[in-house]
Amino acid sequence: MGKSKKRFSLAITALTALSVVLSGCGGGGGNAASGGEGTPEKPVELIWYTIGTPQKDVNTVMSEVSKYTTEKIGATVTMKMIDWGDYQQKMQVMVASGEPMDIMFTSSGGFDYVQNARKGAFLELDSLIDEYGKDLKNTIDPAFLEGSKVDGHNYAIPANKELPQQEVWRFNQNLIDEYKMDTSDVRTLDSLEPLLKTIKEKAPDITPFAMDKNYIPYVPYDYVIQNLPMAVKLDTTDYKIVNVLETPEMKEALTTMRKYYQAGYIAPEAATTGSTSDLGTSGKWLLDRAQTQPFADNVWSASSGYPITSTPASDPIITNNSVQGSMMAISANSEYPEKAMEFLNLLNTDPALRNMVDSGIEGTHYNKTADNRLENLPESKNYDMPSYSLGNNMLLYLNPNDPDNKWDEFKTFNESGVNSPILSFNFDPKSVSSELAAVQNVKEQFWSSLMTGTVDPETYLPQAIEKFNQAGLDKVMAEAQTQLDAWKAENGK
Amino acid sequence: MQMTRDTNKAKKTRKPRDFHRITPGWNLIFNLIAGIFALACVFPFVFVVIISLTDESVLASEGYRLIPSQWSLEAYRYIFESGDTLLRAYGVTILVTLIGTAISLIMIALYAYAVSRKSFRYRRFFSIFAILTMLFNGGMIPTYMIVAQLLGLKNSIWALILPLAMNAFYVMILRTFYSTSVPDALIESGKIDGAGEFRIFFKIIVPLSLPGLATIGLFSTLGYWNDWFNALLYIDNPNLVPLQSMLMRIESSMQFIQQNSSNANISMAAMQSLPQDTARMAMVVLATLPIIFAYPFFQRYFVQGLTLGAVKE
Amino acid sequence: MRNFFKNINRNKALLFMVLPGTIWFFFFSYLPLAGTVVAFKEYRFSRDGFWASIFRSEWVGWDNFKFLFSTDDAFTITRNTLLYNLAFIILGLVFSVLLAIILSELVNRRLSKLYQTGMFLPYFLSWVIVGYFVFSFLSMDRGLLNQILGWFGVNPIQWYSEAQYWPYILIIVNLWKTIGYSSVVYLAAILGIDKSLYEAAMIDGASKWQQIRRITIPMLAPIMTIMTLLAVGKIFYADFGLFYQVPRDSGTLYSVTNVIDTYVYRGLMTTGEIGMSAAAGLYQSIVGFVLVIISNYVVRRVDKDSALF
Repeated sequence: MGKSKKRFSLAITALTALSVVLSGCGGGGGNAASGGEGTPEKPVELIWYTIGTPQKDVNTVMSEVSKYTTEKIGATVTMKMIDWGDYQQKMQVMVASGEPMDIMFTSSGGFDYVQNARKGAFLELDSLIDEYGKDLKNTIDPAFLEGSKVDGHNYAIPANKELPQQEVWRFNQNLIDEYKMDTSDVRTLDSLEPLLKTIKEKAPDITPFAMDKNYIPYVPYDYVIQNLPMAVKLDTTDYKIVNVLETPEMKEALTTMRKYYQAGYIAPEAATTGSTSDLGTSGKWLLDRAQTQPFADNVWSASSGYPITSTPASDPIITNNSVQGSMMAISANSEYPEKAMEFLNLLNTDPALRNMVDSGIEGTHYNKTADNRLENLPESKNYDMPSYSLGNNMLLYLNPNDPDNKWDEFKTFNESGVNSPILSFNFDPKSVSSELAAVQNVKEQFWSSLMTGTVDPETYLPQAIEKFNQAGLDKVMAEAQTQLDAWKAENGK
Repeated sequence: MQMTRDTNKAKKTRKPRDFHRITPGWNLIFNLIAGIFALACVFPFVFVVIISLTDESVLASEGYRLIPSQWSLEAYRYIFESGDTLLRAYGVTILVTLIGTAISLIMIALYAYAVSRKSFRYRRFFSIFAILTMLFNGGMIPTYMIVAQLLGLKNSIWALILPLAMNAFYVMILRTFYSTSVPDALIESGKIDGAGEFRIFFKIIVPLSLPGLATIGLFSTLGYWNDWFNALLYIDNPNLVPLQSMLMRIESSMQFIQQNSSNANISMAAMQSLPQDTARMAMVVLATLPIIFAYPFFQRYFVQGLTLGAVKE
Repeated sequence: MRNFFKNINRNKALLFMVLPGTIWFFFFSYLPLAGTVVAFKEYRFSRDGFWASIFRSEWVGWDNFKFLFSTDDAFTITRNTLLYNLAFIILGLVFSVLLAIILSELVNRRLSKLYQTGMFLPYFLSWVIVGYFVFSFLSMDRGLLNQILGWFGVNPIQWYSEAQYWPYILIIVNLWKTIGYSSVVYLAAILGIDKSLYEAAMIDGASKWQQIRRITIPMLAPIMTIMTLLAVGKIFYADFGLFYQVPRDSGTLYSVTNVIDTYVYRGLMTTGEIGMSAAAGLYQSIVGFVLVIISNYVVRRVDKDSALF
């Protein structure tokens, strides 16, 4: 054993030497950035990781993009796309191992923004934004930058798009017309009843109220952690975190859901249905709930092939979740953080660049039909990008069936948004993570069946509350309250 | 006791092979048990074939049926029209499996042979050197760093081949095989004839140990064919994604979209790129077919290898 | 020193043979080993890569382990790993030996071969594929099983979120995949039993049943022991694919599907708990190491040639 121990220590020594060499390379490159590189004559390479199914023409388009950016800021761009389902896992490994990268996509639902910002995956951007991101700061809605702060600092540039979250009731307009129903008075959950009743009686093969297992009745609270019952009331003055299951609003909503479920308005398997896309294709549904944005009705109608209309179910609220929906961060190990910031600045302010990234090469992937309008060519199937993840949406050229005032409507919509009281407060769960895991388990057990009305809230709601408390929800809430109070004091709320 | 023996003897004279065989009743029962189990092993595959041949719209209303009310080849047409993705994935998998199996066989066979030789002075050291690797592993991230950064294999076919090339367990199996089924005298006589170690190995040892090598070769063929994990870590280039990993990606993208179904942006952008139920099942079928056709051949060698080598009486 | 070079020279051909493997082991097994120190650190990313991150992360001593064992997780994953493997070992042994005997006794050899071919199929499939297979049976709204339950008027069961069924499902799926293979191993051993033993037994008038009990099973005992002991040595390592792919990573099922291997994986890939994940990995390595050493020692006592080392 003594011998092999010696060998082992030899291996360790070799390793340490290697790591020095490796880190030496990284460090050296970083210093060189300030010395003459990063000019149109001698551009630096920026590596950009983003989410989405990899597209065939990415490299072609990026070499075109690089020509443009070389001239503008002295940098070339290499984009690497990682498929939806792999993004979280792959980024985790790559970031942890220090894979070279400069810019990466992050959001609340894909390579978690807050968690990774705290772990040090992203570069803190405060001073970089001030120095290289002035245009960007003037272009995108200030609420985005303000709302996406983690512990008081910016770690990523949010994409300028719809800012608030607003819930709507969506209707299958064909059925509404056929049975001459009126949707103008609809707003609350209770107000749906006459519609549901009518359709149940007249067309029994239709699912009146379509939903999947992620459905949660709307209550005027903002959740501290998505999908866990800790929440703060939207019109709060004392910033008290409550268990949303214990609120009268939720109790009432769940009772209504139960009533609907028993009346057969909700599909019996709702609590376990992963997706309602089957219903969407067949058109055998009357209404459901969704998040809206301007002109969403048009998009929905176009993708389903029959008219869909909607009416609001909530006020437009600006929450952490809506602000952190799509962001771009600069990697903590970026060799050229200044260039990366310059690029993000350009991407979010320069329509030519933004549209090239989004739609590809003019003449190959699309044709321009007017100043701010384009038309996709057949080749665009080789470069079909998820627009929301690639920066400022409001610079995008309009599609043939987009209305002229599309982005103005977005701006109006954004202005209508009301800040959630806990916007930019990000709970740090570190000290209670074992309780949190237990709470999560309880949630998996009870949540869907309660929320869809599959079980009776009279008996199951108290049970769920008790189980949550046993799992340590009290403790998590207390910790969150302490953090929130400190945050409140700090921000002078 | 005497009685039974007598009656048995009496029977034996009438039916001479009675002792060799079980009674027809038991034979039937045994056949039933083995047959039902064998059927159960094959059935899921058949079922998935049926699903892949079902009409998508029927699927939504009646679910996965053994006998669907409407058949359709749509899923396969979709796959073959959606371009060369599947074909490419096939190509990658086959290439990786062939090269990988060859490399790992050579490496494992040589290593195992050397440590099986009693005259090898460092045999104990190298045995322990190999065995220790079975007991500890450094984890995913350090391994990733070595492969992706130190060796620079990212987005290269070698990232799919090398991480699976060696396996201490197989080395040990093969070592046992050599030391029990290759007589030392044979090697000695080779030496007396003046043959070098490599010559002895290739001319004498390899032909003798074919069943053992075949067994290990099959293990690593399977390992390569069924691997998805290395592709998940090291491959971004869609042209280098192997078959299993492609299936895996589709599945995890589905789950991602379901988890984020409330996010309108994601579900709109991602939904378009996903194949439907029947098409996914058709891909499973296409990914399995080569194995279905090839494994009866494998099986023969496999059983031979097991009989002669890995298992000793 | 001169002796050393002389030895090297004398063994150079054999040394050359182990060279590729040795290089491989060094790069792919030993070099990454240094990463395990993460288990004793609170990991924070550093801009100069993983080793630098490790180096600069703060030492936290046994905190990661303390934390791991203070949650229910440590207990759950240890229990699941051990109990499932135990079930796999025992049931696998019983069923595959039974099946091997059945196959060896079938009168019609052709049929026997056909059955073997069928049984062998699952062994060749990846867990990804098996995951799809299982889904076609257990899907809530489309699966075959719920349709069959429907014929008997039973309400559909949401298989992927009801934990109580999964111990059975996982055991059945695992047996389904492995029995075919292991029974062929035993069958090979049965066919290798000296025929004269049976002939002698027949002359003594032993019935078929007696032959099986008195000859076949005792002759199989050594290989049964060894296969079992080898499996016991690996009892702390779970089959990742089975526990990750087949339950489709469903959160509600974690209480019965989370094993050490999946825990380590999720810790790294999903929650980013690199330190905790490394601690769990190290815990597995060490307990696993002890078990391998013990079982190897026992194997050595039973049959020296079958011992791994």
